[in-house]
Amino acid sequence: MTEPVMSLKNLVREFDTRGGLITAVDNVSFDLNQGDILCLVGESGSGKTTVARMAAGLLKPTRGQVLYEGKDINEMSKDEFSRYRKSVQIIHQDPYASLNPIHTIGDMLRAPLLKHKIVKNRREATKRAAELLELVDCRPVENFIDKYPHQLSGGQRQRISVARAMTLNPRVIIADEAVSMVDVSIRVSLLNTMLKLRNELGVTFLFITHDLAVVKYFAWEGNVGVMYVGKLIEHGRTPQLIGRSLHPYTRALAAAIPEADPDLTRSKEKLQLRSLDIPNLNNLPSGCVFHPRCPYWEKGLCDTVVPPLVDVGNGREVACHPVVRSIQNGGTGRDLEPTGDMGVDRAAD
Amino acid sequence: MTAPTPQKDQVAPDARIDDRAAIRGTAASTAPTILSIEDLWVEYKTPFGWMQAVRGVNLDVRQGEAVALIGESGSGKSTMGFALLRMLVRSARIAKGKAMYRDSKGQTYDLFSMDNKAFRKIRWEECAMTFQAAQNSLNPVMRVKDTFWETAKAHGRRNRKEVEERTLELLRMVQLDPKRVFDAYPHELSGGMRQRVSIALSLLLEPQLIILDEPTTALDILTQRAIIDVIRNLRDQLDFTMIFISHDLSLAAELADRVATMYAGEIVEYGPVRDTFYSPKHPYTVGLLNAVPPIVGEEFTPLTAIPGSTPNLLKVPSGCPFHPRCPYHTEICLREDPPLIDVGGTHLAACHHHDKVTKDQDIWERMEDVAEVVG
Repeated sequence: MTEPVMSLKNLVREFDTRGGLITAVDNVSFDLNQGDILCLVGESGSGKTTVARMAAGLLKPTRGQVLYEGKDINEMSKDEFSRYRKSVQIIHQDPYASLNPIHTIGDMLRAPLLKHKIVKNRREATKRAAELLELVDCRPVENFIDKYPHQLSGGQRQRISVARAMTLNPRVIIADEAVSMVDVSIRVSLLNTMLKLRNELGVTFLFITHDLAVVKYFAWEGNVGVMYVGKLIEHGRTPQLIGRSLHPYTRALAAAIPEADPDLTRSKEKLQLRSLDIPNLNNLPSGCVFHPRCPYWEKGLCDTVVPPLVDVGNGREVACHPVVRSIQNGGTGRDLEPTGDMGVDRAAD
Repeated sequence: MTAPTPQKDQVAPDARIDDRAAIRGTAASTAPTILSIEDLWVEYKTPFGWMQAVRGVNLDVRQGEAVALIGESGSGKSTMGFALLRMLVRSARIAKGKAMYRDSKGQTYDLFSMDNKAFRKIRWEECAMTFQAAQNSLNPVMRVKDTFWETAKAHGRRNRKEVEERTLELLRMVQLDPKRVFDAYPHELSGGMRQRVSIALSLLLEPQLIILDEPTTALDILTQRAIIDVIRNLRDQLDFTMIFISHDLSLAAELADRVATMYAGEIVEYGPVRDTFYSPKHPYTVGLLNAVPPIVGEEFTPLTAIPGSTPNLLKVPSGCPFHPRCPYHTEICLREDPPLIDVGGTHLAACHHHDKVTKDQDIWERMEDVAEVVG
């Protein structure tokens, strides 16, 4: 077994807010092997971006460790840390905010190459910059290299962000909602470009998104982790996780998404939740954080005992009492009966 | 020409809805047209001259139908919505065009040529709108109940008690807890709750036509689902006509009876929802459909991208605006902008090669090498 490129071990991150201490990320662990794709999905407030920022070294964890090549990044020597910084790059969500408007694309790509002495001189830097633009499908290169960001469209800017992330030949790219601000017609080609980096250059991806459709396409050969109010609640290979999700929350998400097919989407089976409200991080429910919304919750169990993330075989992990029990009893984990107690008033249905 | 209004009390409500829903938005529909947009041009003033955001749009909307306006950013879909309610920003103008509207009393007039005073009676009472980013469209220093009351008062309602009862009823209809929301300030509500308050507010004066601008954008998936369900239930109960603007094709598949695809300020395809999704006749619609992966199922669907990027509206390509990105384009597409014509069964398309267009992805794969056009 080769050593993972990156490991997150029991990461916890707390923030001090006016309303008290909140736990934005609660005990999240996973490994990334060379060439892996891991998508973290979750809704707003689930802590997925906080995990990304800690993995990128932009935020210190309250407890737990981020290991790069087996070493804790917060205990590295200066040289080691600098090597980690070069090898792990981040792509931000907003291509309008993340590129410096007063630099040309060429300058942006040359600067890190020269600074880190990856090339000897400016001429070589320009040559390498042109190769990077080719790599991210910005062709013909002359149309890009002397342009300023404002002369490019959102999709093109995001390609530049990818090229910039590639300047230092990183092993890991952390992409935080990298395609969510890009138009539909451009999104696929951007995802294809990033997949090419993984398939041809072996780049490892930690990909943060709220869009299960993007997950299904981008991480088909990889893994998905589903986050809900700071916790990793389900983790597994993408095809199985999307096709036969286990955790009631993941199932609700998959059922709720509209499909671009009128007959299919109108007949899709929905999973009715008990409540629409995402719990307040200042006042999390006891036991399983999802129990106030879960149609399958069990009184006395789900509202008192926090379910651990349990390995249920086939590389799948899930944190749900009824699902784990079903599988341990030889069931599918999807054969649960609603508790019947919907509990919350759903007026005028 | 007026179709007889259904006798609400004589038929069981469910049967009535099922009958009408079955033909709604198809060629068999006999519903009268209540809005007819004719050759609409809207321009924005920019330092580089007038930029045409809506370019010669024709669109008929029938009573009771839900029409989806689908397009990417810059396609002119929101501009059209704002133009209809005459709420364009100062730097924009309606350069040309008519919007013939038949009000609930059966009178027809042009929304664009009325004077402001007369139009103020139409806006919200006849046509209302919910805005994108509902979080910012509610007055932050007004309680929800006061926002509703002020709106009603501005339109001549004087009985506060009646308005409050109507408000409570509407809040229940959009699945909000009236007790919690009625006295609340917008900041006390979540994004999804505010969006539902906005929808309720648009229904306050019982308008005939509602325009929803990106009703689910920027909301979480489960909240989106709740909004979709709310909109569907409201339509079943209240039977209004709806135009909704979205970049999300799946939303159109869920809610629309007809779908209009916009590209570079033009409507390039307009047809019944099933025709548009199952046999699209414009290559751009095909391209959009090919780019949206299905979620259900354990099969992997390879996706093909539309090459190139959306055009700069100050330099719209000659002929058909889509031709630089289109795998079907021939020489005629560079010269002539194709008109929107009926290709069968109230399915309209603006493409010289609509008879050759299929959902086949292979033809797009060969386009991959198209150079990106830098604007």
